[in-house]
Amino acid sequence: MAEVRLVDIEKKYGSFLAVSKQSLTIHDGEFLVLLGPSGCGKTTTMRMIAGLEDITSGDIMIKGERINDKPPKDRDIAMVFQNYGLYPHMTVRQNIEYPLKLRGVKRGERKTRVQETADKVELGALLDRRPSELSGGQRQRVALARAIVRTPSIFLMDEPLSNLDAKLRVTMRAELKHLHHELGVTTVYVTHDQMEAMTLASRVAVMREGKIVQLDTPKKIYAEPADLFVAGFIGSPSMNLIDGSVKGGVFRADGVEIPVPLEDRSGVVLGIRPEELDISQGPNAPINGKLYALELTGESTLVTLRNGPTSVCARGHADFEADINSPCHLTPKDGARFHLFDRASGERLG
Amino acid sequence: MQDRLLPYWLLIPAFIIVLATTIYPLAYSFITSFREWDLTKSRRPGDFVGFDNYIYAASESAFLNSLWVTFIFVITSVILTVILAMALALLLRRKGPMHTFTRIILILPFAMSPALIGVSYRFMFNPEFGVLAQGLGAVFPALQGVPWLADPDLAMAILVLTDVWHWTPYMTFMCLGGLASIPRETEEAARIDGASNLRIVFGIILPQMRGVILVMAVLKTIFALKMFDQVVTLTGGGPGTSTETLAYFIFNVGFRWFDMGYASALAWILTAIMMFISIWYVRMLLSERKMTTA
Repeated sequence: MAEVRLVDIEKKYGSFLAVSKQSLTIHDGEFLVLLGPSGCGKTTTMRMIAGLEDITSGDIMIKGERINDKPPKDRDIAMVFQNYGLYPHMTVRQNIEYPLKLRGVKRGERKTRVQETADKVELGALLDRRPSELSGGQRQRVALARAIVRTPSIFLMDEPLSNLDAKLRVTMRAELKHLHHELGVTTVYVTHDQMEAMTLASRVAVMREGKIVQLDTPKKIYAEPADLFVAGFIGSPSMNLIDGSVKGGVFRADGVEIPVPLEDRSGVVLGIRPEELDISQGPNAPINGKLYALELTGESTLVTLRNGPTSVCARGHADFEADINSPCHLTPKDGARFHLFDRASGERLG
Repeated sequence: MQDRLLPYWLLIPAFIIVLATTIYPLAYSFITSFREWDLTKSRRPGDFVGFDNYIYAASESAFLNSLWVTFIFVITSVILTVILAMALALLLRRKGPMHTFTRIILILPFAMSPALIGVSYRFMFNPEFGVLAQGLGAVFPALQGVPWLADPDLAMAILVLTDVWHWTPYMTFMCLGGLASIPRETEEAARIDGASNLRIVFGIILPQMRGVILVMAVLKTIFALKMFDQVVTLTGGGPGTSTETLAYFIFNVGFRWFDMGYASALAWILTAIMMFISIWYVRMLLSERKMTTA
């Protein structure tokens, strides 16, 4: 069983706190994604698991054993890097073979395993090429093959798709998901791309300023963001976050009046996802303003309405058309979920 | 029309200077190498002698000795400089508290004039009052009173030592530049794959430094082939002719024996050797680029 446990791990660079006393258990076979913006400590956390970064305090346990002082090679992990980390002077075959060679695997077995692994990631025909002769996607496959060839207990992936173009990223994402399903190896995956996190993860740990702010399944994080930061970070287009106040059980902002189950208070942020809003005809809709922009995405049109400082986006039908600056009205769909946050602290109110 | 010609007009002064100080002497020395010219007898080159000067060089023991001395000097100084520079660069590449200070200290030997280095080392290895000779004698009693620069082998060793001391800093900085261009991930991947530090250096870092090492080796070879200043001020080519490098021998033939025709032929032999190395280097570099950037 390859369970990874982080117990109060902390990382400081001088006086800068990169990761602040975080605890996390990654279950056997789980695909856990560390998600957050640049500088939030996600890569540092992964590098500490890999043994590439010293831990300032705390413990890391793999399979129940404390591995703080173990060198990377003895942690039974494999890592895929953002820039692939391939050995440019070696062929694809030699790249994949290298970890086996270092572990003293016999030549015959090495050959078989390299071939099997290369076939698994569709590299069989490219084994004698050098990395410089491969495309970005092929290089990433070599990096994957090198990671899986020695069947480690844990995969660590540090933004492995971020150097690929958008189309290839989608293809590789599906391949990664399939590979994880096939191998069932515990995987820790770092990304700043919330779409990658949502599609790949069994669970997502959203990080901010060195802390895990929410750890849950993608569905739960999407449906119930723990705070204002997570609410704004997850979802594309992101959740509408409207500044206003609550009076008499009604949330009010410029052009917005929505009944909410909250006592009177100011400094409230109401969140609602674009896909939970309908474009309505009547002027008595809960959200009113002028049409600011129409963006056709193919399967739908993003409709942005503005009223003073309030800006609200809704996902409308692909055929929707209207004049810019014409009056526009939005109504929450039946069963739409409202998220209420405190403006100052970012805490969830309901 | 005037605008179109202006760049050429502006280039003319530089062109004339290069022509007068480089192209003309080169062409003149090439023509002279096929003539007999004893400067003590005539101010102008004498008769055309064909390849006689070149043929004579091939059989003259003094020239062959200088060629051998140069060969030994080049091989040892290039190998030692490259290895030392690489080792120092590997030690210095990580940033530490003394990072900047160490780098400043390191560049000092390269800032010194080669002639001055020769004089300094001659004093330092003087068996009677030289600080290095005395120091070595104090640490190793067997080395007390060793006539360092009077022994052919030791004199050559000291000549190599001064050259390595002079060039290692510059080469270290070249290595540091090369090391900085190696992606950190390759080293980290190797660490995770199970490679030891030694294996990372020899199996991952050095192969990626191939191009830089090649540039270093060729540059150092060309500079070592031209070794002159330190020979003049440190050993004077001696004892005997044991440290008489090719450049120093050419100087003697031309400006001590005034045999300008023969000296020109020897200078062109040295030039041919350097051109051969340069062409080989460019070809290697191009094939290296093809390999890494295809």
